[in-house]
Amino acid sequence: MAPKLLSSTNFKSLFNSVDTFLFDCDGVIWKGDTLIDGVSHTLDLLRSKASSLSHSGKNIVFVTNNSMKSRRQYAEKFRSLGLTSVTQDEIFSSSFAAAMYLKANNFPKDKKVYVIGGEGILEELQLAGFTGLGGPEDGEKKAQWKSNSLFQHDKTVGAVVVGLDPNINYYKLQYGTLCVRENRGCLFIATNRDAVGHMTDLQEWPGAGCMVAAMCGSTEREPIVVGKPATFMMDFLIQKFGTETSRMCMVGDRLDTDVLFGQNAGCKTLLVLSGCTSESNLLDENNKIEPDYYTSMVSDITKLMDSP
Amino acid sequence: MLNRTTLVSSSSVSLLPNSKPFFSVKAFSGFRSSSFSGGIVRRIDHKPLRVMTPNLTPRAMAAQQLENADQLIDSVETFIFDCDGVIWKGDKLIEGVPETLDMLRAKGKRLVFVTNNSTKSRKQYGKKFETLGLNVNEEEIFASSFAAAAYLQSINFPKDKKVYVIGEEGILKELDLAGFQYLGGPDDGKKQIELKPGFLMEHDNDVGAVVVGFDRYFNYYKIQYGTLCIRENPGCLFIATNRDAVTHLTDAQEWAGGGSMVGALVGSCQREPLVVGKPSTFMMDYLADKFGIEKSQICMVGDRLDTDILFGQNGGCKTLLVLSGVTSISMLESPENKIQPDFYTSKISDFLSLKAANV
Repeated sequence: MAPKLLSSTNFKSLFNSVDTFLFDCDGVIWKGDTLIDGVSHTLDLLRSKASSLSHSGKNIVFVTNNSMKSRRQYAEKFRSLGLTSVTQDEIFSSSFAAAMYLKANNFPKDKKVYVIGGEGILEELQLAGFTGLGGPEDGEKKAQWKSNSLFQHDKTVGAVVVGLDPNINYYKLQYGTLCVRENRGCLFIATNRDAVGHMTDLQEWPGAGCMVAAMCGSTEREPIVVGKPATFMMDFLIQKFGTETSRMCMVGDRLDTDVLFGQNAGCKTLLVLSGCTSESNLLDENNKIEPDYYTSMVSDITKLMDSP
Repeated sequence: MLNRTTLVSSSSVSLLPNSKPFFSVKAFSGFRSSSFSGGIVRRIDHKPLRVMTPNLTPRAMAAQQLENADQLIDSVETFIFDCDGVIWKGDKLIEGVPETLDMLRAKGKRLVFVTNNSTKSRKQYGKKFETLGLNVNEEEIFASSFAAAAYLQSINFPKDKKVYVIGEEGILKELDLAGFQYLGGPDDGKKQIELKPGFLMEHDNDVGAVVVGFDRYFNYYKIQYGTLCIRENPGCLFIATNRDAVTHLTDAQEWAGGGSMVGALVGSCQREPLVVGKPSTFMMDYLADKFGIEKSQICMVGDRLDTDILFGQNGGCKTLLVLSGVTSISMLESPENKIQPDFYTSKISDFLSLKAANV
């Protein structure tokens, strides 16, 4: 069914049928480190128990594929942008998802995790009680190739977690490759596979999909994906709110992660055009992913809530 | 496992199950148009060569251990040798190679060396052969660095367009020799970026092709530059020298190969590249045309099933696997392996020892 442009006629029914709004972050709440206009007011209004449409206020959570930060670091980012009401418990980053995946699958505490990605992943692993290796500091390391020296890797690494890594280099690719190919039973986990993202406000940059595909190229294996559109994070959300997914609405800017995630999990879906997807991308005949609704940006909700 | 046989051209390949080996030829129109997304490779006499999409049903008959070396040698006119794991391992010559090559030349056989390694130019490989005491001419060497430049030449890539290189010196040298302007290469390995508000990475709008190969100086700057060119410059080509998952940089262990760097660009651009190295038949078509050889008169000798042997099979040649490199007999005989060469033997000097045994 064709996506409906969000309007005063259809907004009310969406609003009343949903208890929880799930927001993506990049391209929805902010772009790089710049807050998108009107977001703060909209979130307050949705939470408010005294709106004209509802007396109970909505639950709000943030589900982001960006693995650079931990939940705690994301909460700090929200605070620095003036969104002080957002707490760590409301944030579900793919860095957190990776650690939770290992926990849920009883990853042994005596095995290590090699990380090709940011600080956020290492912090979440540590919080979950796992030992992480690699991360940003391996960005400084250089491989040596001399006939009598071997590139060493820790044989106790039982999982390699790959996420967005602007400090990607050959050393990390080689380390991760040896672990996956040579350590028996080593897991290959991807936080997400987004091709590009708005790492800065002015343009798109290669996303985790790039680093993950690099590792697929050298290991000849496909990873376990914990971020959107995989629904792994949804299990946590269902547990947290005790509601059905049909009473949730996923708001995102990307069709093949946010909207697909929402659809896979049985939520309602709302695409915003403030990020990486334009109206022509959405309406293009080659596009097979159709959200329930679409609108230009999150702050449109404020206008629709205020309208009679 | 990534099926690399589908990655020769940038359009989709149709699967033909249960058919006898044959080649689906992709003819692209408008190779003179501004978009250059094509598989037609022009021969000097103006009859088009085609970039063959590979045979998708590899030979099912089990490989035979080579016993009658003479019969194989007499049945072909040309031997194509892979280098790593066949001629040398790292920087060490494999036992018996010089005498074997001399014997083949004495019998009037043409020798050609085809390697997916793009770090050196043909000239630099020529020097490596010389250092190891082998009598090999630069004109007999076809590295994937050369293949990238030869491909661009074959499609008349305009000299006023530029090539962005994610790879090492060998590619730069070959592009230079072919008269193409390039950007990037190892120097871009030193460039840093800072993801902060207001920062915009510019890229040259005249880049008409991005060539990606094995790159030990790989970094985010290069990935972004290449991604911007491919996504934003109309008609920009995405060419891969090769997609080997791992390579033997040193003889002691495996190292992440060109397949990794190419994978990264596929991940960010969501496009498949045109592959010029093995198992794509571009180099086979090129040298068959250059030397005027019939493919049935060629024997491909290599150590890797999914590049060397598949290359030979795709090209319609005889194939000989040597066990002196990355493939062991158990890998060849594993039920998971679908690629069966015509013959296998331990190393190329078996041509001499098997000969002696038959006397």
